[in-house]
Amino acid sequence: METQTIAAKRDEIATPARRAFPYHVLEKPGDNLVDRFLEAFAWVLEYTDYKPLLDSYCRSTAKCNRCAVACPILLASGDPRDIPCYRTNLLLDTYRRYFTMGGWVKARFTTPFELTEELLYEMGDVFYRCTVCRRCTRSCPLGFDHGLITRLGRYLLSLVGIVPKALQVSVQEQLEGETHNTSKVSRAGLLDVLSFLSEEMEESLGVKLDFPTDETDRDYVFFCAVSDYLMEPDTLMGNAAVLYAAGDWDRWTIGLCNYDGINYGLFYSDWHLEQIIKRLVAEVDRLKGRSVLIGECGHASRAAHDFIPTFMGQRAPPVRNFMEYTLDCLRAGKISLDPDVVTERVTYHDPCNLARSGWIVDQPREILRSFCRDYVDMTPKGADNYCCGGGGGLVSIDELHDFRMEIAGKVKAEQIARTGADIVVAPCANCKKQLKELVEHYEIPCTVVGLHDLVLRAIEIPGGKSPVERRAEAALFAI
Amino acid sequence: MEKVQLGGKDIEIDEDGFIQDPDAWDESVARDLAKTEGVDDMTDEHWKVVNYLREYYLEYNMAPMIRKVCKTTGFKLKEIYDLFPSGPAKGACKVAGLPKPTGCV
Repeated sequence: METQTIAAKRDEIATPARRAFPYHVLEKPGDNLVDRFLEAFAWVLEYTDYKPLLDSYCRSTAKCNRCAVACPILLASGDPRDIPCYRTNLLLDTYRRYFTMGGWVKARFTTPFELTEELLYEMGDVFYRCTVCRRCTRSCPLGFDHGLITRLGRYLLSLVGIVPKALQVSVQEQLEGETHNTSKVSRAGLLDVLSFLSEEMEESLGVKLDFPTDETDRDYVFFCAVSDYLMEPDTLMGNAAVLYAAGDWDRWTIGLCNYDGINYGLFYSDWHLEQIIKRLVAEVDRLKGRSVLIGECGHASRAAHDFIPTFMGQRAPPVRNFMEYTLDCLRAGKISLDPDVVTERVTYHDPCNLARSGWIVDQPREILRSFCRDYVDMTPKGADNYCCGGGGGLVSIDELHDFRMEIAGKVKAEQIARTGADIVVAPCANCKKQLKELVEHYEIPCTVVGLHDLVLRAIEIPGGKSPVERRAEAALFAI
Repeated sequence: MEKVQLGGKDIEIDEDGFIQDPDAWDESVARDLAKTEGVDDMTDEHWKVVNYLREYYLEYNMAPMIRKVCKTTGFKLKEIYDLFPSGPAKGACKVAGLPKPTGCV
């Protein structure tokens, strides 16, 4: 092999052809990257509402770095590029220089800030080192939403072809593919999964239930993260058990044309966010459903809850997360949970997309406290929780696995270990996957489950086996 | 996409080593894919999992639910991880010639 001098090596790495992102991209970004990025920026400013926001942020940009103490990634990495203000300023500097009068004038008299390909590559890196958990937003004295800036940055990058392949191919399948969902779960496959779950429930709960599919005129149209149909049988059976026990079995359905609540548009592209939302509502309309019921998934819940009204206006169907529904059933006495079957120590992980805004914080705790004997909270919790380390789509990007373990999830892992819990409840497909990998990586002796996995263990099933009886059987046939 | 020699054939794989054309799969391709997963010797137990994944994929065009793999093959989840260290979705499915899982899997 030829020996290279260090200088030659450095030159080689610095050539545009060799530059790389920490994730796979479908195609290498082409030429004139800077010009294309500015063109995309101008386009977004013209057709969206970001301009007043950026104007306001530009006027008040503080560099007080209070956000620095809030970011779990920065706490673990110590890398100054992870300071939320630093990241936000990459985009604000660009905006100021190229899209404001002040920046234009300043550039005539001083050495101007200049957007370079190097800076775009840096954005491509740092905007995907952020999990968009928005914890920093709560500590910013000026109320900067750094998560929103990360999203805008990712959106602009995606318009010049810089977007992780894992996110892009999933969205392509959802919008253009045959299956219309991110995990390519075929319709025949879904029906097979549902009949398998039906058999499982008959065996374990002692009642025969057929999952309602494509039924019209129902109160709830159910969308979970479609990956649950491959990975999370207990969560789904827990959901089904609540619907059955509450007497609502003939009030819900799963649509067969669209059964995926996932919306990666929330992570990198407003345009895709809107298309996916419209697809979801079209399915509810097709079935003449009256509301949307989202399974255990943080970002799917937030995308539907916050953005169906944005994009559908008056035609927006109401949206509920499944935990809200379960709590209503519990409070109304429609279901009862046996307090004697879950004896392990249980803690609850707040998915950022549910808790940061304060939307779903107390509801799951009320459910868990009602039947878990030994429930403990993490510190901090609720709206101040720490991200699992896989948010913002990072969990789907395999090549970021080491980053997610060693840096993004480190603070969370320490937090979980401190609770001494045997069971971590994480009602989100994203968080679940990340936390399962995390507790294995840090060898924390606990299991990670969904909230309805535990509900499934404790719920009284009318005409079925009792929770205590089921627990005895489960111990015999543990998988 | 890169092309590599698997089972004596030139086969296209993605960045993570999943084959791109499911029809190019045969048993000798599976043996070579297994080596990339740190499985040097495909035992009957490995084949039991791989064959089931393959059959299911040909029928439903997707991987089966993990619980169903356990139930059908009789292996516990931990045993599947012992057989394929990177797990059923990333390891066993790769050896069975399925495409790389997408979404939150």
